[in-house]
Amino acid sequence: MLILNCPNCGERNVSEFRNGGEYRPRPACPREKDDLQWAEYVYLRSNVSGVQKEWWYHRAGCGLWFLAERHTKTNEITATYRWRPAAASSEEERKADG
Amino acid sequence: MAERLPPRTGEVIDREEELRFQFDGEDYLAFSGDTIASALAATGVRVFSRSFKYHRPRGLLCCAGHCPNCLVQVGEEPNVRACRRRVEAGMRVEPQNVTPTLKRDWLAPVMRALSPFMSVGFYYKTLYRPSWVWKLGEPLLRAATGLGKVSVPKIPSEGFDKQYLRGDVVVVGAGPAGMSATLSAAGQGASVLLLDENGQLGGHLRTTGDTQQRLPSLLEKVRAAGNIRVFTETTVTGWFDHSWLAAVRGHRLYKIRAGAVVLASGALERPLLFENNDLPGVMLGSAAQRLLRLHSVKPGQRAVVMTANDDGWEVAADLRAAGVEVVAMADERERAASSSARVDALSADVPVFWRHTVAAAHGGSAVQAATIVPLDGDGDTQAPRHRQDCDLLLVSVGWTPNTGLAYQAGVRFGFDEKRAELTARDMPENFAIAGRAAGTHLLEHELAEGALAGRSMAAAAGRGDAPAAAQWTQVQEEKAAEPARSAPWVSVAGAGKRFLCYCEDVTEKDLYTAVAEGYDSIELLKRYSTISMGPCQGKMCSMNAVHLCARANAASVDETGSTKSRPPLQPISLGALAGQNMEPVRVTPVHDWHLERGAKMMVAGLWLRPERYGDPAGEVRAVRERVGVIDVSTLGKYKLTGPSVPDILEKIYINRWRKLAVGRVRYGAMCNTEGIVMDDGVTARVGEQEWYMTTTSGGAGSVNEWMQWWMQSGWGEGVQLLNRTDDFAAVNLAGPQARALLQKLTGLQLGNDQFPYMHARSGAVAGVPCRLLRIGFTGELSYELHCPSSYGRHLWERLLAAGEQFGILPFGVEAQRVLRLEKGHLIIGQDTDALSNPIAAELSWAVKLDKEDFLGQRSLIRVTERGVRQRLVGFTVPGVSVAPEEGLQIVALGSNGKRPEIIGWVSSCRFSPTLNEVIGLCWLPSEIAETDGAEFNIWRDERPLAARVHHGAVYDPEGARLRS
Amino acid sequence: MSMKLVRQALRGERPPPRMWRAHELRERYDAVIIGGGAHGLCCAYYLAEEHGITDVAVLEKRYIGAGGSGRNTAIVRSNYLTPEGVRFYDASLKLYERMAGELDINVMLSQRGHLTLAHNDGSLRTMRRRAEVNRLQGVESRVIFPEEIERLCPHLDVSDHPRYPILGALYHPRGGIMRHDAVVWGYAHQADARGVHIHQLTEVTGIAVEGWRVTGVETNRGNIKTGTVLNATAGWCSTTAAMAGVKLPVTTSPLQACVSEPLKPFLDVVIVSGSLHVYVSQSDRGELVMGASVDPFPSYSSRGSLSFAESLAGHIVELMPALQHVRLMRQWAGLCDMTPDYSPIMGFTPVEGFYVDVGWGTYGFKASPISGKMLAECIATQRTPDLIAPFRLSRFSEFDLVGEKGAASVAN
Ligand SMILES: Cc1cc2nc3c(=O)[nH]c(=O)nc-3n(C[C@H](O)[C@H](O)[C@H](O)COP(=O)(O)OP(=O)(O)OC[C@H]3O[C@@H](n4cnc5c(N)ncnc54)[C@H](O)[C@@H]3O)c2cc1C
Ligand code: FES
Ligand code: FES
Ligand SMILES: [Zn+2]
Repeated sequence: MLILNCPNCGERNVSEFRNGGEYRPRPACPREKDDLQWAEYVYLRSNVSGVQKEWWYHRAGCGLWFLAERHTKTNEITATYRWRPAAASSEEERKADG
Repeated sequence: MAERLPPRTGEVIDREEELRFQFDGEDYLAFSGDTIASALAATGVRVFSRSFKYHRPRGLLCCAGHCPNCLVQVGEEPNVRACRRRVEAGMRVEPQNVTPTLKRDWLAPVMRALSPFMSVGFYYKTLYRPSWVWKLGEPLLRAATGLGKVSVPKIPSEGFDKQYLRGDVVVVGAGPAGMSATLSAAGQGASVLLLDENGQLGGHLRTTGDTQQRLPSLLEKVRAAGNIRVFTETTVTGWFDHSWLAAVRGHRLYKIRAGAVVLASGALERPLLFENNDLPGVMLGSAAQRLLRLHSVKPGQRAVVMTANDDGWEVAADLRAAGVEVVAMADERERAASSSARVDALSADVPVFWRHTVAAAHGGSAVQAATIVPLDGDGDTQAPRHRQDCDLLLVSVGWTPNTGLAYQAGVRFGFDEKRAELTARDMPENFAIAGRAAGTHLLEHELAEGALAGRSMAAAAGRGDAPAAAQWTQVQEEKAAEPARSAPWVSVAGAGKRFLCYCEDVTEKDLYTAVAEGYDSIELLKRYSTISMGPCQGKMCSMNAVHLCARANAASVDETGSTKSRPPLQPISLGALAGQNMEPVRVTPVHDWHLERGAKMMVAGLWLRPERYGDPAGEVRAVRERVGVIDVSTLGKYKLTGPSVPDILEKIYINRWRKLAVGRVRYGAMCNTEGIVMDDGVTARVGEQEWYMTTTSGGAGSVNEWMQWWMQSGWGEGVQLLNRTDDFAAVNLAGPQARALLQKLTGLQLGNDQFPYMHARSGAVAGVPCRLLRIGFTGELSYELHCPSSYGRHLWERLLAAGEQFGILPFGVEAQRVLRLEKGHLIIGQDTDALSNPIAAELSWAVKLDKEDFLGQRSLIRVTERGVRQRLVGFTVPGVSVAPEEGLQIVALGSNGKRPEIIGWVSSCRFSPTLNEVIGLCWLPSEIAETDGAEFNIWRDERPLAARVHHGAVYDPEGARLRS
Repeated sequence: MSMKLVRQALRGERPPPRMWRAHELRERYDAVIIGGGAHGLCCAYYLAEEHGITDVAVLEKRYIGAGGSGRNTAIVRSNYLTPEGVRFYDASLKLYERMAGELDINVMLSQRGHLTLAHNDGSLRTMRRRAEVNRLQGVESRVIFPEEIERLCPHLDVSDHPRYPILGALYHPRGGIMRHDAVVWGYAHQADARGVHIHQLTEVTGIAVEGWRVTGVETNRGNIKTGTVLNATAGWCSTTAAMAGVKLPVTTSPLQACVSEPLKPFLDVVIVSGSLHVYVSQSDRGELVMGASVDPFPSYSSRGSLSFAESLAGHIVELMPALQHVRLMRQWAGLCDMTPDYSPIMGFTPVEGFYVDVGWGTYGFKASPISGKMLAECIATQRTPDLIAPFRLSRFSEFDLVGEKGAASVAN
């Protein structure tokens, strides 16, 4: 049983959490995307075998949605943190949009 | 009890208490503390079971729970290891895989005759041409398979349970290394859990060496320490991510979070391959020592001891001390590793064959003789041969460390060809191995290594300091100087069957055949030959198989690789894994009332809801003609507050919210990003900045998570979302008399002008603070009352009492389904599936594509551009009274004899008692669905049934009654 | 007695014929198939057998059958929910029915009947829908009720005591189980006999693409030139596709399964419960083969978990209380390539010469023969066969998904 470190509650068994899949910022203006770009956002996944930035929800706990960096091969979790509308994510958003 | 010795120190039996039990239909006596195996062995029973494939007789091999040879049926419990299970009075023990009895098994000679044709993987090569042969052959093959029985189809569940444990250091195995590790970790202030599968602490200190020398003081210290918890008869079955361990003791499963783990689980003695090496009476040396020292049972009268290390000599000495005659010793070595008094003494009385090995065991159902042959340099044998009569053939030729748990923890092993031993590498920082599990056999070394391991693991768990690296180096060096204990070869050439895998009856020859056929890697070999796939999970054969596979491929053991260790390390009962049934059941505050009234309850997600109280048609009529009430406490209920609530609602729902006035209610539906309908419900604006939102019962949890997700990643500014689902009970009062009834219980103004349709009010009803929503899923004048859960039943009862004069009836889910269907309302999840978008599901009126942005919008824009192929639409089936079943298909009839083609399906269908007609909702191609009155065919009982598209509600299409 | 066994018995010490051979890696092949599972090997077999394309290499990073093909629970059936699904899987089942003779190996197809239990009215409705779709496609399948269920499987508790009582079941007599490894070996053997090179311990590390066209693959044993590459790497398909610059609508999740110790035969049908997320059958070795739904989060780790075994056991014992004393003997996991619509992805990709046969999730074993056959046809004829057109990759950008999700809570 993995241990996940909730930024609010600390270390808890992973069974308390729900995984929300890889972190993919929603395009700021979906209407401006053409069908292909939109389908890409909706359906395609990187599905990396390596470190993945992903969402977790503390379902049986505080109800926080937070981000984790997990190696998908070893399940080693190197970081967990709250989502922030920080520069870092807008940088990624631009990449995801492009 | 012919083979029982007089009382001895160290024995674990209580001779004061005799227990009677049955084996194979006969009565036997045991002492308290006996295992089934020791009790039977004490009376001279040799054959315990028959083998999986050839039905060969099998007897005790390991006496440690690590082989398949003593599996028996105990009552309803199959595959019990007789050498581990203690006898209980009245126990009914049966041998397994016998047709029909252990002694007279007619399949055994048949299998012997067939065995030339039953080489490895034979079943892949036969019984399939022509194809019908398999239809006959499979049942035969199948009937012969399996071991224990599940005979009685229904048995009551026994009390299994679970417990969580936590320890800074968990020590697995309570032999000298484990106890030493425990003491040193505890000495550092760590909380230690010490687990052992045996009934007593001590490990091999109880079965080898001078037991009195060290054991008492170790036991005393363990007992004295305050921070050590001891669990005997507790088998660790697996290591999982982040040092999460599983262990079982009887009917209890322990789930243990360990800070660090010391594996001190000892070693398994390794079988040797020679002709007839599976005959009862061929036993591992350590097995004989267990019988002798723990249970005071003589394993035989005349023993040949075959060894490759000093352990075999100790076995021989033990036998002699117990009065067993040792008729010959064979040692694969040139001479003993250390000359000792023991070797000298034995050599004086017993013929000793140095540099010899055993090439064959002889006998029918038990050993009668052994052939001893000289060895040449490579482990091959040569004449002359020496035949020695005996009834016991003990084998002590090496050890395989018991390291399954380490594999699971990510430790990798390399093979030291010189010492013929596995050595660990890539050790995780909170995992250590000590003692025989680490290849350390001399007691002083084991104790030293255990102490180091304990201290290191305490440090890894944050207690005390780690020992200096130099100390480890010293232990390693000392260990390396120990004499090697394992022979470099694992099999002795010869004719006849030499069993590699006892569980699966796979011989050495089978292995070579499989390799030659192309199954030449250890993984393919395993899968094809089934080596290591049996009840012992390779404990007896895996290592030997790797050796032989390496030899067959002329490769090294390291190149060949070992197969992985998969949990569980010891088979574990489904009952223990299951524990008590902890499935939650959710019930509403009115639940008990429903039961008292004899409601038929139905499962709805985690909830139980009344499906009906009596006749659903009567319940429908009550609502249509008078008044009815339904418990809808299962709805999802949310409070949203803050200035930006309209913003989040606009994003989450497909329809508009911004302009909803205070006091008003609106229906809303929501989509995921794909544009698939997720949920629906009504939401009321109850204050300038306060909203009350409801969702479907099934969607309550997921909608909450969904909204939280978006709110917590950028859309949550100025909104608070609070899940009130459990805080409120809700009942829906519906029917033309609803107002009159409600007015009896409240001072609120209920007139159509004061409290119109799709409005919300707050006020006391029957003295209970309520939120009232005037909505109408049923199509009648109706009020949904939400009140604090604790008042739910009170409110419900008062409504029913007050309604008596109006002829009120409670109604269930079934009546509600009919009522909504008469109104043409869809149920998400029933009338929609994972591909339904709101435009196709007749919710286009709610889809506001011109809104700024909402979830699903971009996908729905595409849907509108391309159009939808299928639509959800209402229908009627004229002229029938039995509703076609939901799930039936709608077809286009094929021309002459061609199969009808599926074009749609029926998602809801009921007989409407109000309209006296069968009505429903279905999915149809858009071109048909668009025409009101269009005819189509439902395929029922291999025949078409004509139905007609019906647009709009069949009941009160104008909605006058709702608004009345 | 088969002649093969007689010959083998008489042969004595002489080695039996090899099933497949090892080869040097050539510099070029007409076609390269990545992934030595049932799908990849089957496609190789059909390329050679039906289209005369024999200059084919199957590259497998470990040993053949190392992936899902050697780890699945071997349930075969064709009672799907959508007409396109039923058609496709039924074509596969028909190939399975004649496979043993065709591949000259007993794949031990055991059509012992398949029961999908319904514990609430919603799933009962879905069962009815499936039964109707199946029957209209000529596939035998019907909804049955507790009395008949108990007759087929006396060990099931059909009373109303369980937390989720059994209300009914979808009964599919032709569904059953088989021996998965034999399928892999059979295809490997026959492909090898037709000239296909099977390279084990050969890992593809890169795919060469020039101007949207495949030109070769790189492996740990050297590079290969080829204009045709099939990605049949299931759980690893995203990483393989990424080498060619193609992104897929796939996530990889472990699926676990386990077996009990061997028992005398007592369970004659395959039991699946979607609501309880478990299924169980008894193999010809006497072991109960049990499984559940995919792990709760995506991962490439095939380390099993205790929670899997606990919840599986809980549900099995609730379904069949008599199994409480049966012991779980071994558990394992395999990787599943999950798609948004619980349907596979087969055929062309935006990169010319790069084909996919992926998205097999938890249900792809039963489709091995037909998908191998269809992919071979697609590669050989350069046209998408009708049978697999609904499963094309472009359905996602066309928002034209397959509707199997509704039936897929435990979709083996
Ligand atoms: C526990 C479990 C139970 C299942 N039960 C069922 C069931 O009952 N019924 C059913 O129909 N389906 C079932 N499935 C699903 C089924 O096993 C798979 O869908 C199917 O086996 C996929 O076959 P494949 O040949 O496409 O892939 P695989 O058999 O997974 O083969 C892919 C191969 O590609 C290799 N590979 C990966 N990357 C590379 C690379 N870079 N270079 C070279 N080789 C590479 C891998 O080593 C692997 O051998 C189950 C799956 C699991 C895990
Ligand atoms: S003798 Fe009992 S398990 Fe080996
Ligand atoms: S001896 Fe038990 S699996 Fe081989
Ligand atoms: Zn938390």
